[in-house]
Amino acid sequence: MKFTSKLLLGLGVAGVLAAGAAWFISAPRAFDANAFAGLEGDHKAGSQVFWAAGCASCHMVEGGDPLVLAGGQAFATQFGTFHAPNISPDPVAGIGGWTLEEFARAIQQGVSPTGAHYYPALPYVAYAKMTPQDVANLKAYMDWLPANATPSLPHDITFPFNIRRSLGLWKAMFADDSYVITGDLTEAEQRGRYIAESLAHCGECHTPRNALGGLDRSKWLAGAPSADGKSRVPNIAGIEWSDADLMTYFTTGFTPEYDSVGGHMAHVVENLGKLPESDRTALIAYLRKVPAPNP
Amino acid sequence: MKNPAALKLAALASVAVFSAFTAFAQDVEDPFADAVETRHGLMLQMATDLGVLGAIAKGEIAYDATAASKAAANVAAIASVLSMAQFPAGSENGTSADSFALPDLWAKQDDFLAKIVDLNNAADAMKTAAATDGDAIKASMAQLGGACSACHKAYRQPES
Repeated sequence: MKFTSKLLLGLGVAGVLAAGAAWFISAPRAFDANAFAGLEGDHKAGSQVFWAAGCASCHMVEGGDPLVLAGGQAFATQFGTFHAPNISPDPVAGIGGWTLEEFARAIQQGVSPTGAHYYPALPYVAYAKMTPQDVANLKAYMDWLPANATPSLPHDITFPFNIRRSLGLWKAMFADDSYVITGDLTEAEQRGRYIAESLAHCGECHTPRNALGGLDRSKWLAGAPSADGKSRVPNIAGIEWSDADLMTYFTTGFTPEYDSVGGHMAHVVENLGKLPESDRTALIAYLRKVPAPNP
Repeated sequence: MKNPAALKLAALASVAVFSAFTAFAQDVEDPFADAVETRHGLMLQMATDLGVLGAIAKGEIAYDATAASKAAANVAAIASVLSMAQFPAGSENGTSADSFALPDLWAKQDDFLAKIVDLNNAADAMKTAAATDGDAIKASMAQLGGACSACHKAYRQPES
């Protein structure tokens, strides 16, 4: 065997191994369904999880009833346009009939009941920190909402991101579902962290991303270009607003200059307004723990 | 075009044409400048009056019936002025300089006008609250803020 053919053979073997490794790494991870065994969801408690998690903000029809999760909103990004799917309890168009385990795997691991990866436009990396009981309560609430038969629209995503299997590699690289702010936290700060880092998934818009769409956790909540590239999402790390300013903003949408919240954040303010005041206080306590970014 | 020199030349030429075009565009007067300036001025005055009501709601200044009622009356007056008159067709973000108004404002004009009615109702409620006390003002700020953000959510491009 000549040297060149040996080299080619070597390269070929390495290529096959790399492809095999990529295939292996990109496979959906196993899911621990035991955590959900025997859990009963409470739909009233689930409504609080629903608003905190902002499900309706993306899955409602634009300008429509926030309790009809028929989908259809378009989200333009550098990777293409995502269309929020129908997640109403319709058994055909929506997610009616899913088991609790299927639902949990979808929103916490980003894996569909048939084993396909979801795009991280669904903030499953944040939702991964949701407690099993909150997941069960959320599902109970969503099961209780009206069904809608509108079919979901396909996403319009560019190569190579249109290959769903490639999302397995994305997850292996970027799906760090641990908390960012750690250390000694009071009960209120921990509650605020749970709301901010898991349910309300603040980091998804307020934290900058790398070229492949992975969050830069070292610049947590430090501001970022909007997903559509048309505007900027503000830096809220080390925010200098007073507690009263923040509470006013979360309750009325007014900034300290009495501009009013707009864009997608207006949804967030509406959602936060539906939570108990103690949750908004907790969120403020958490924001005080988020350091300003290094210059 | 595989010749790098030709490619460079083409790029330079397109930059030159573009610069000439933007210079030309700047010379043409924006026909919507007055309308955009008017609505921004109305919003700024409203923010000034909301600042008085907000400071009372936050407890930063003591409740003062005269000052609060004056501020609430101003907010209501500005709300009553708002109409399509400050939003002529075409005065939209990307077309008219300084405009943040999204094209949907005109596509869904009925909804936009309904939201202005909501704002007027919220402003009227604030007038009653302003004549009452600080707690009433605080409670009324949420309705007023909701009316503001309902429009800004649907029809205003976030700042870049």
